[in-house]
Amino acid sequence: MTALRALRRLAGSGLGFVLLAAAVGHAGQARAAPQTFNTALPVGKGDFLFRGQFLYQKANRDPSPADRDLEVFGGVGALGYGATGDLALFAVLPFLHKRLELTGPSGGRIARSTRGIGDAQAFARYTVFQRDLPGRNFRIAPFAGLKLATGDDDERDSFGRLPQPLQSGSGSWDPFGGVVATYQTLDYQIDAQISYKANTRANNFSFGDEFHFDASLQYRLWPRKLGSGVPGFLYGVLETNLVHQGRNRINGASDPNSGGTTLFLSPGIQYVTKRWILEGIVQVPVVQELNGTALKSDFILRVGFRVNF
Amino acid sequence: MTRILSRFALAALATAWFAAAALAAGPSYSLKVDGLACPFCAYGIEKKLTALPGVAGVETNLEAGTVTVTMKDGATLDEAAAKQAVKDAGFTLKGFKQLAAGGGK
Repeated sequence: MTALRALRRLAGSGLGFVLLAAAVGHAGQARAAPQTFNTALPVGKGDFLFRGQFLYQKANRDPSPADRDLEVFGGVGALGYGATGDLALFAVLPFLHKRLELTGPSGGRIARSTRGIGDAQAFARYTVFQRDLPGRNFRIAPFAGLKLATGDDDERDSFGRLPQPLQSGSGSWDPFGGVVATYQTLDYQIDAQISYKANTRANNFSFGDEFHFDASLQYRLWPRKLGSGVPGFLYGVLETNLVHQGRNRINGASDPNSGGTTLFLSPGIQYVTKRWILEGIVQVPVVQELNGTALKSDFILRVGFRVNF
Repeated sequence: MTRILSRFALAALATAWFAAAALAAGPSYSLKVDGLACPFCAYGIEKKLTALPGVAGVETNLEAGTVTVTMKDGATLDEAAAKQAVKDAGFTLKGFKQLAAGGGK
């Protein structure tokens, strides 16, 4: 194998899972709501919500001799619209800067990076069950959508075309769907979601299909007692994200160093007012059962805001 | 002396303004809204109710789960319209009660 081919294999192998974790596959929605996935809380008819989230991911737990060190910086914008009281439409657009350093075949350190708009997502969510009671509500809402191939999937550097996991875009159009349930009271909120994404092929490459199970608890820390009016709420947040991804396929062959299962535990904080929300969360992998030499994640930090109008 | 007179005039004007506003306000209503459980929910409900014809002001009490709607002078709030506005916001109107025929807060 030539040195260049070896470098491409080292750079690309085993990155898919960790870069998947950095993506915001779940637009979330601008309410007191989970930060790493959706909620079933409504978007008012004719109302808009905008969410901005900035993320930083670090991954350098490398079982391979390449000593890979990956950093991802990015931002994601999500816009939600209430078509009716039950039907909400969402569009999500990420911008990511990915940088990978590794030890090449000759022993020197090499850096490869990409920067640009990633693959957009469009999806719809519909409330199929709703129960409103004094000071509390419960909802169930399935959702379905498509990841669009809007990101550049042919970025190159002096070593040639960057491996697919490092590209800004996948080149593929991938359907996804799931269901989310929310139980909210004046004191706390619980959300739970399952979802599945079928990753299709582009450039003779396909990421493994993804299964997600997410859960969130938001507990009101302040004010301890409610008075009249609408005070801002400070929530303590604890989320958990279980992600399982199948193996990637390259030219029809399964990549043994890709895919696996990760469980994140994610503590955070959120301040909610009538018009805006400020929030932050850190995702810490507590279990990582990845295949072969797939690169393991250290943490993902997300800070963001939401505003309705 | 001039300063005393101008302060007196200012106070008189302010009193007259508040009195006029109070007399000009229409009826007010108390709406009981089920499902209301966070600050963000309140915005959507207030926005929908404020958009109804004749509404002068809307105030939410999150703990009580109520929304007080104050109408402009001469306007009344239709219960069906209020119910639809709350439904469009994603919640459920459970109670509708007129509080005062007029006179504001």
